[in-house]
Amino acid sequence: MARKNRKKNEQGFLFPIPLAVTLLVVALLALFHICLKARADALGREIKALEARRVILRDQLKKEEGEWSLLRSPARVEAALREQGLVMAWPRRDQIVRIICAPTSGRARRLEPTQPMQYAQIQKVVLND
Amino acid sequence: MTDRDRNTRLEWLAVALALAFAGLVVRLVYLHLLTDETARQSVEDKGTIVKPILTGRGRILEGSKAGNIVALNVGMYDLCADPALLAKSNLTEKVSASLGPLLGVSPEELRSRLNQPEKRFAFIAHQIPDDLVRQIMDLKSPGIFTRETTLRRYPQGGMMCHVLGFSNMEGVGSAGVELIADKYLKGSQGFLESRLDGRRKEMYGWRVQDIQPQEGADVYLTLDENLQYMVETALDRAMEKNRARGAWAIVQRIRTGEILALANRPNFDLNEYRSARSEQMLNRAIGQIFEPGSTFKVVAIAAALNEGIVTTNQIFNTENGRWSYMGKVLRDYHSYSQLTVSDVFKKSSNIGAAKIAILVGKDTFFRYLKEFGIGRKTGVDLPGEEAGLLTPLERWSGISVSRIAIGQGVAVTALQMLGVVNAVANDGFLMKPYIIRRVVAKDGTVLYKGAPEVVGRPIRGDTAQKMRDLMARVTEPGGTGTKAAIEGYRVGGKTGSAQKPVAGGYSETDYMATFVGFLPVENPEISIIVTVDEPQPFHTGGLVAAPIFKEIAEQAVRYLDISPATPTGLVGP
Repeated sequence: MARKNRKKNEQGFLFPIPLAVTLLVVALLALFHICLKARADALGREIKALEARRVILRDQLKKEEGEWSLLRSPARVEAALREQGLVMAWPRRDQIVRIICAPTSGRARRLEPTQPMQYAQIQKVVLND
Repeated sequence: MTDRDRNTRLEWLAVALALAFAGLVVRLVYLHLLTDETARQSVEDKGTIVKPILTGRGRILEGSKAGNIVALNVGMYDLCADPALLAKSNLTEKVSASLGPLLGVSPEELRSRLNQPEKRFAFIAHQIPDDLVRQIMDLKSPGIFTRETTLRRYPQGGMMCHVLGFSNMEGVGSAGVELIADKYLKGSQGFLESRLDGRRKEMYGWRVQDIQPQEGADVYLTLDENLQYMVETALDRAMEKNRARGAWAIVQRIRTGEILALANRPNFDLNEYRSARSEQMLNRAIGQIFEPGSTFKVVAIAAALNEGIVTTNQIFNTENGRWSYMGKVLRDYHSYSQLTVSDVFKKSSNIGAAKIAILVGKDTFFRYLKEFGIGRKTGVDLPGEEAGLLTPLERWSGISVSRIAIGQGVAVTALQMLGVVNAVANDGFLMKPYIIRRVVAKDGTVLYKGAPEVVGRPIRGDTAQKMRDLMARVTEPGGTGTKAAIEGYRVGGKTGSAQKPVAGGYSETDYMATFVGFLPVENPEISIIVTVDEPQPFHTGGLVAAPIFKEIAEQAVRYLDISPATPTGLVGP
């Protein structure tokens, strides 16, 4: 009868090193994957929250634009003036002074009172002409 | 513990793990391969979200420098409920009592709406603002939830209502520019398909399809909000003063055909379009035809001058205000024995105009009518335009030529009549009117550009010049349109007071009063037509419509900075 190998028995069950390394690598990869996944999910949530915020802000902007348009509308301006007791009227012809600037000197001259009145405007001067 | 025992335990552990693993494999195989298809689909569906992403309809902006928004979409919410869940939780009563006052609905009415235990979905309120939604959601009522939606808003209410039109609850353009430019305004809906997590929250990383919506393009109009306001307030005053049935006016830029203002009375609030009556919604300026009356003498006299048949100084016998032609009597409002062609126009003599048209001849006159665009749509970019009525030449009676010359037996829209006068003011060129200046996509691409377009040239430039001078005399002392005169400007125009046709003839009491004109005569910039339907107590164009024309024109020349044609102002050194 063959004698029992005592040395071998003392070592007991040995986990194969290549398998252990493989499992460790797999475990690390899995951990890395989970980390990446968690990060991606967090970013996804952030993007979704920003998307929702963008929608809200866009709606808000539209509402403000609408409100601003309404405030600038002639009817609203007139009502506001009325509320403040202000009266605006178109100027009479004799109340208007037409001034034009010469292209080179920049001097302006007042319309002579004897001349027929013109309505105020900035006349376009073609400098390259 | 001996080695043997330890090995045995490890073996048992391995067996247990193997069994557990095998169990998992069996379960997986069962779930994936052997489960009923419908059950598997149901699980799949529960974890999937498929929803359209709403897009904003494009904006409409007016054409002044401010470029104010006159139509836009704003985000709103529909308030919904799960009546079955409410019934199951025995909360129908409580929810009705808490929501009713917030929504302005009686709790009883709300309870009857929610008391449908067999249903899983019911609308409670449509298009409610977000501050109210917040209040409602703060109540944390189970079975109450919201759905995003959009609402078309018209910040100016009733202003420009007939031009803008409106889009319906489904966001489809149903009238006005909203209808005609619907393909640009509507944009395209987005689409999202994704997976839900255990808390039924969408997982960004699992999006299968994420198609972003394309927002609708912005439509820029030629209409100027400030001019429009001037016109609308003038019409409001005119309606009140003349106790009229309706009134409408158009302001157009002569050289380009751009419509700067177009208004009708009665009108309606675009935000409440569902409660508007049909007569309020009619765009009369392009959709109501009427006999133009004396304003139509422009066509007859322009045709005669262009053909060289008459000269402006040629004298016509105006028969002391009563003339029988082919057995039918024609009368003048004021009687004159004889008048020059210029005075026939200035005094608006029916007999003179009829005689001139007879000289032109019906074939030639008909040709001019066609060339001036009578009986044909102008092609303005608005829906609901009428073509007018022009009887085919072969059906003309013996007196047709004499009656059509004075604006009877023919029907036009205000826009057509304005087009005729524009052609006179524009050296004979008939322009196509337009109201959409451009359409711009969100990325700035110009999708459409309205541009001036010459439709025809019914009269020569020299004839147009003569006609402008004739029309200027109408607003000078002795003319029928003196109330349209503006200090410092030469105004060309023509009055029209047409009896309304009734069964078997013409009404003795109901008139259409019109004034159509342009200014300044020397270098025409804008043209305006004003029509008042059934004014009381006065009914002539000169008394009713001309003052409205003046009111609009006086403000318009200042606002648009239109100088009197002969500049005598400052010059540079």
